[in-house]
Formats: sequence, structure tokens, C-alpha cells
Amino acid sequence: MKDLISCEKVSLRQRNIEQGAIMKLNKILKNGFLIILACIALSACATSKKSTGQMQGDVYTGTDTVEYLASGVPDRVFFATNESVLTTASRETLRKQAAWLRKNSKISIVLEGHADERGTREYNLALGERRANAAKDYLMTYGISSDRISVLSYGKERPVDSGSNPLAWSKNRRSVSVKAN
Amino acid sequence: MSLPFLAKKPIDLPPIVSVELIQITEKTNIPFAPKAKKIIEKVKEKEKKLVSEQAPPKKVKKIKPDAVPMPEDKVKKVEKIKEDKQNPEKIDNEVKQVSEFEKEELFDPNNIAALIDKSKESKAETLKKNPDLSQDQNKNFENTGLSLSEEDALKAQIFGCWSIPLGLPYNENLLVRIKLELKPDGSVTKSEILDHARMNKPGQGFYKVLAESALRAIKLCQPLRVPSTGYERWKELQLNFDAREMLEG
Amino acid sequence: MKNFIIILITVLIPIKSFALIEVDITRGNLNPLPVAVSPLSIDEESRKNFEKILKKKNIGSEISSIVENNLRVSGLFNPLNKDAFLQEPDIANLKPRFEDWNLIKAQALITGKVSYVDQKLRVEFRLWDVLAGKEMMALAFTTVPNNWRRVGHIITDKVYERLTGEKGYFDTRIIYVAEEGPKTQRVKKLAIMDQDGANNKFLTLGNELVLTPRFNPTSQMVTYLSYFRNLPRVYLLDIETGTQEVVGDFPGMTFAPRFSPDGKKIIMSFAKDGNSEIYTMDLENRIVEKITNHPSIDTSPSYSPDGKFISFNSDRSGYQQIYVMKSDGSKVKRISFGKGIYGTPVWSPRGDLIAFTKLHKGKFYIGVMRTDGSGERLLTENYYQEAPSWSPNGRVLIFYRETKTDSKGKGFSAKLWSIDLTGYNERQVTTPTDGSDPSWSSLLSN
Repeated sequence: MKDLISCEKVSLRQRNIEQGAIMKLNKILKNGFLIILACIALSACATSKKSTGQMQGDVYTGTDTVEYLASGVPDRVFFATNESVLTTASRETLRKQAAWLRKNSKISIVLEGHADERGTREYNLALGERRANAAKDYLMTYGISSDRISVLSYGKERPVDSGSNPLAWSKNRRSVSVKAN
Repeated sequence: MSLPFLAKKPIDLPPIVSVELIQITEKTNIPFAPKAKKIIEKVKEKEKKLVSEQAPPKKVKKIKPDAVPMPEDKVKKVEKIKEDKQNPEKIDNEVKQVSEFEKEELFDPNNIAALIDKSKESKAETLKKNPDLSQDQNKNFENTGLSLSEEDALKAQIFGCWSIPLGLPYNENLLVRIKLELKPDGSVTKSEILDHARMNKPGQGFYKVLAESALRAIKLCQPLRVPSTGYERWKELQLNFDAREMLEG
Repeated sequence: MKNFIIILITVLIPIKSFALIEVDITRGNLNPLPVAVSPLSIDEESRKNFEKILKKKNIGSEISSIVENNLRVSGLFNPLNKDAFLQEPDIANLKPRFEDWNLIKAQALITGKVSYVDQKLRVEFRLWDVLAGKEMMALAFTTVPNNWRRVGHIITDKVYERLTGEKGYFDTRIIYVAEEGPKTQRVKKLAIMDQDGANNKFLTLGNELVLTPRFNPTSQMVTYLSYFRNLPRVYLLDIETGTQEVVGDFPGMTFAPRFSPDGKKIIMSFAKDGNSEIYTMDLENRIVEKITNHPSIDTSPSYSPDGKFISFNSDRSGYQQIYVMKSDGSKVKRISFGKGIYGTPVWSPRGDLIAFTKLHKGKFYIGVMRTDGSGERLLTENYYQEAPSWSPNGRVLIFYRETKTDSKGKGFSAKLWSIDLTGYNERQVTTPTDGSDPSWSSLLSN
């Protein structure tokens, strides 16, 4: 629990900075900055949890549930418990999505944010919205207009894995990009 | 700011529900949707509001404060109610129920007075006026009190008889002091609530409930488990019922 | 003054010689009070009339079994087995033979009779103190026959109030979310039922996801979250007419709605750009006010009964905790400081306590604390449970509990449960389907 909490604190600070800085910093500076902080956050988490085949820390790294918007473009990114910070892998996925969206300029998407079942319903709705927005913000920094992205939170209402175990929960903590047209 | 009204259709509300729910909330006078309104009015023609009335409406006036109704009286009263019921004016609206209910509440202290005892003792009255004195005095006479084992036996017995009303507020003063007069065999000849003025105070409804539970405990426990000797010591006994410890924990 | 002293002295002297022995009784049994609920008597003609109208063979015993069940479920009363009753119901109602009732250890006795008067149901009941041999109260009700269950509930409310000193909660309803289907594609409907589970009705068909319904103070309106057309918004539903409307005109998700204690406002969260803030909307003039202003998740708002304060949960400290502020959003103060995560604060109707959900070391708890955060008491622990809602008298909490899915993908369920403020008397509230997000109405009659 302690480790988890310290992990959360780091990321919150990061989030607040993100809020103030997001519009003003240029892309490169911001990305570098976020990656450094993300590394700190991850290493803090990694001390408490081993990485298994399908999880790093408690972020899902497998591909069981992943679908593809196009060949080589995964539709979803995963999050740590109570987190909305994008991992390195998530950024890579979102850059692929951004590239695909730039190529298909008529497509717009809905980002569906989800949480695992281990939280109160209303808080999870807010958390899902925060996660989807983290993905949206990142896509926007890669040149995708906010007009093409809408956000929808399902909280814990639509799990992909109905299990009650850490692996199932990690699959459910996600933001999924869904074609809207 | 415009508010999109949703027609019933997109929401797919089964129409039967809005009709069936009406009775529950009939006391509120919200304008109904035209369709529902017709149905409601039909229903309302046939029904009157839920009415309650105090069964013996004239009891309040008829009984003197200190009188203890005899069983025969009770039968008569019931008959009287029956007569009242046949008078259609008695069936009124809810407002009536409220006031009648309050009357019932006002009447209750008399019931209690009867519960406590038929007569009041001047001695107990003085105790009531100087509630601290008896306790202070008691310290000077410790050696004349019950022995520990005697006290424990009595306590254990009453613990078993006293059903503490679990609904009492746990953060109030929940002390009821009752003075008893006992026969040598432990049966109770008189019991008196020492703070019974408190029972009639507004907002102290729980106190009455607590006092009644204590009186029931004493009745239930009779004869009390008193020492076999020294009747003079304990022929009068004060029990301090305090529910706080139980309800807080 | 002198006189007074003299009187005092003369009074003191006799007391000294008596030395009244005092015994402190600080314990009792918390066993439920033994109550005998004598079946309501009914004359043959009335019985036949009601059998025709209500399809119930003996409406008298039906009503008394509602009373009996209510009393039992409250945990404060122990209704005794009818087989041991010696007196016939009609005679008991006229004049109980207290010795007989005493013999079976009844401390209170409920008697009464039912009659058919002018096409109406007339119910008379009496409450007796068996040990004192006294009548404690007597009331009569008249209503349409279809209202018979409510009469049972109202009788229970009156008995409860007379014997416990506080108002009852039996003539009330529960609105909740009825759930069916697999966890990944759960179908959810708004449903409403009587407090004892009877008269269950679905208010929506389940075409869209609905969550967190809550009653207004008169229990005739409900505010809830609906995903109608995939736009999660707070709605207002009039359960009498079935009319619905979206609350406010927000460019994003609104959720976590509740009414203000006067019923004039809805307080809720609005999420935008990854930030959830608390807003109110006045239902009369439609004015929207922003209450919180912080780049964190602020949600699950709940007013104090006097409307002067709002409790809510926020992760502004890094993780979910409970805060209290004035109703204008000023003077925000964190009140939860125990170990773990705290959420879903709900102010009690009495105003002295806040009920909450707590997550600590992988377990979920329902608990209460004082409004300054002191005196935390955890009432129940489980794998998953949340969202307490108070009974109108502030004595009981209803909440929902979910069970684990096992390794075979089975075992998941969502059920409504209730527990006493004391932590005793935990019970499942049975619903035809699974259920969650319960909200308790106010007393329907007073």
C-alpha cells in the first residue's frame, strides 16, 4: 500500500505540472519532461511489484484484449492502478494512432476511458474520463484536432475481463480508441 | 438555457408504472402529465386519502390525569370508538391524523404517571429536588450498603431482564434513576422514577422509552435477588439505569 | 433564605438516617424486545369482501404478518411465535389477558381489527405494555383496499416510534439499479420497490446504462445518470408522470447527482478535460454554479441536512479522501485521515454523522464518522461494497455489495444489503434481480 501511495503522489505532481504547462511548452521539451517523470513513477512502482509476462508493475503489457484500428495500430492503452499517466508503451501506441489518424483525416474517434472494479463507482467515472483525456491530450500534441476526438468514460461499467484478479484489473484499466464514423 | 425534454418513447418507460406509483405520493400536488392525469382522477374519485385517527378520540378529556383505567373502563371505551367510527365525519384527511396523534402524545404522560405508581411519596419528592444529596450522603454510609457479592447478584439478575431499546440516541444522557420499596422476599411494592419530570420535556421522547424499559426490567425480574439478611438496609433501593456504556460500545 | 436553610437541614436529617443504597445498572441485554403480534381480527363479511377485491384469503393476518416481518427485520424486536398465543385475536383486541401474554414472555402486544367500510379498508390497532398492563397507543386507518401493505408499514412505524423513541422507516421505498447479464455487458434498469422488497417495478427497459438514482426529499422525483445516446448526463425523472429531462446543458459528462435538502437544487460533478468539478443547478431558475475549483477529481457531493455544508471526495491530496466545505465552496477541509482511501460520503438525516466507503488493504468497508472526521467506526468489511444510503431516521444504512468472480469466471453478483448504525443486524435486501446503487426514500406518510 505504501509503495502504491508514493507512486500516486509522484504522478499527481506530474499531472498538475502537466495542466499548467501543457499549452505553453513546446512538444519536444514537454515530452522529454514527461518521460523523465514517467520513469520516476515507474521505477517507484517497479520496486514493489515484479513484472510478469503480461504486466509491468501493474500495467498490462499483453495483447489478449487488444484490437487494431488498422494493421499495426493497436486501439488501446493501459494504466497503473488509480493512474492516468501514459507509459512509454502507451505513448508508442498513441503515436501510431496519431499517424493513422493523420493519414485518414476524415475519421474521428471516441476515446473510451475505463477503470477497474476496485473503486467507488462515481470516482471511477471521473478516473475513466481523466484517462481518456490523457490519451486525447497526447494525440493532440501529435497534431490531431480536438474536433476529431470525443471522450466518453465508462468508469468500471464495461470491463473486458470479468475476472477478479490483478491481471484482469490491469486489462480493464484502459483507454480505447473507437472509430466514430 | 434550453432543456431537451425527452418524450416517453425514447426512454421506454412502461406506462403502467407511472399510474401504479401514484398512490404512494398522492400527498404531493404536482401537476400531472395530461395522460396520467385522467387516470389519476379516475382513481381518486374512488379513493380517499389514507386516514388515520386516534381510536378513542375522547379518551383525553374523559380521564383524569392520575386515574388508572380499570379493565371494565377499557371495554366501554372500545365500544365508544365503534360508535365514533360510524360517524362518517370522523374519517377525515391526514391533517387530522397528525393532530390526533399529537393528542395521543400529550396524553401519554398520564399513562406513564399511572405506570410509575399510583401515589407519590413526599420523601421521594425531596430526593428529586436534591438529587445530588443522596449520592453524597451515600459515601458516608458505604459500610451500610450491599456487599460486593450481594450487589453483583442483583446486578446480574437485572442485566438479564433489561432489554435496552437499541434505537436510543447514543450521545445523550441516558440515565434513569428508579427508587424501589421492597418486601423481604424481594418483590417490589413501589417503584418511582426520580427524574420523571424529564419525561414530559419536548425532545426527550427517548427518555420516556428508556424509563419504560427500566420499569419493565424491574417487573420482569421480580422478585429481586436481594440478600437474605439485613432487610432494614435494603428495604429501599435506588437503581440507576444507564444505557450509555452499552449503546456507545 | 434562612427559612430555606432550615428546610434544607430538616430535609437532610431524615435522609441521613436512611442512607439509600444505590445500585448502578450499566448493562442490559441487547436482545430484541419480545413482541406478540396478534393477527388482526376480521369479521366474516369483511373477509369475503377483501378476498374478492385483493385475492387474499385473510387480509387481517396478511397485514399483521407485514408488521411482524418489519419488526423482525429491524433487529430491535422479536415477534413471538403465534402458535403460543392463547387468546383469540378479536378478544385480545378488546381486552388482553395480560397474564397469558406475560406467560409467553411478550413485553409488548399488538392487536387490532380490520373491517370493510364503504368500499374502504379500515384498520384499527392497539399497542399494549404487557408488563404494566396498559394500553400504549391506539390508532385507526382508512384507505383504499389496494393500500393494505402500506397500512402494515404505517402501523410498524407507529409501534417503532412508541417503543424506541424515534421515527420509523417502514413506510418508505428504495430506488435502485436492477442488474442482469454478464459482467462485461451488464444490463441495468432503474427499479423501485417498497422498503421490504414488495411491489418491485422497473422504470426503464435497460436499453441504456443507468446509474446512481437518488430521491428528492419528497421521494417523488429521482435524479440519476443515464447513458442515453451514449452521452452520460444527469437526468431528472418524475416517477408519477414518467417525464424526464436532462439536468443543465453541460458540454460533457455530468454524474454523481444528489438533491439539496430543500429539493430545489441538484448537486453533481461535471467532468471536462480530465478534471471533475462539483456544480449545482437550481431547478427553478436553471442557474448553474461552480462550487469546487481544483485540478483533481472532486465528486460524490452530499449536502448536510441543513444545506449549509457539502461533503465530497477528492484526490487532491494524491488519493481519494473525504472533504467538507461550506455550501458556497469556501473553507474546504479534509476530514478523513485514517489509513486507506475514503469515498462516497453521505450526510446522515440527523446531521451528526457522515457514512462512507473505505478501501484499505484490498478490503472495502462501510463506516461512519462525525462530521469533523472524528469517531470513525467501521460497520462492515467485505470484498467489495460501497454507496451507503441512510434510512430516513438515520438508524439504518443500505448499500450494495459485489462478490468476486472466481477462476472459472463465475460467482459474480451484486446485491443490496442493510446494516444498523450499531454494526449489528446486517441483512441482504432481496430483489428479483441483482441490484446496486440503492437510495432510500423519506417517510411517505407522516
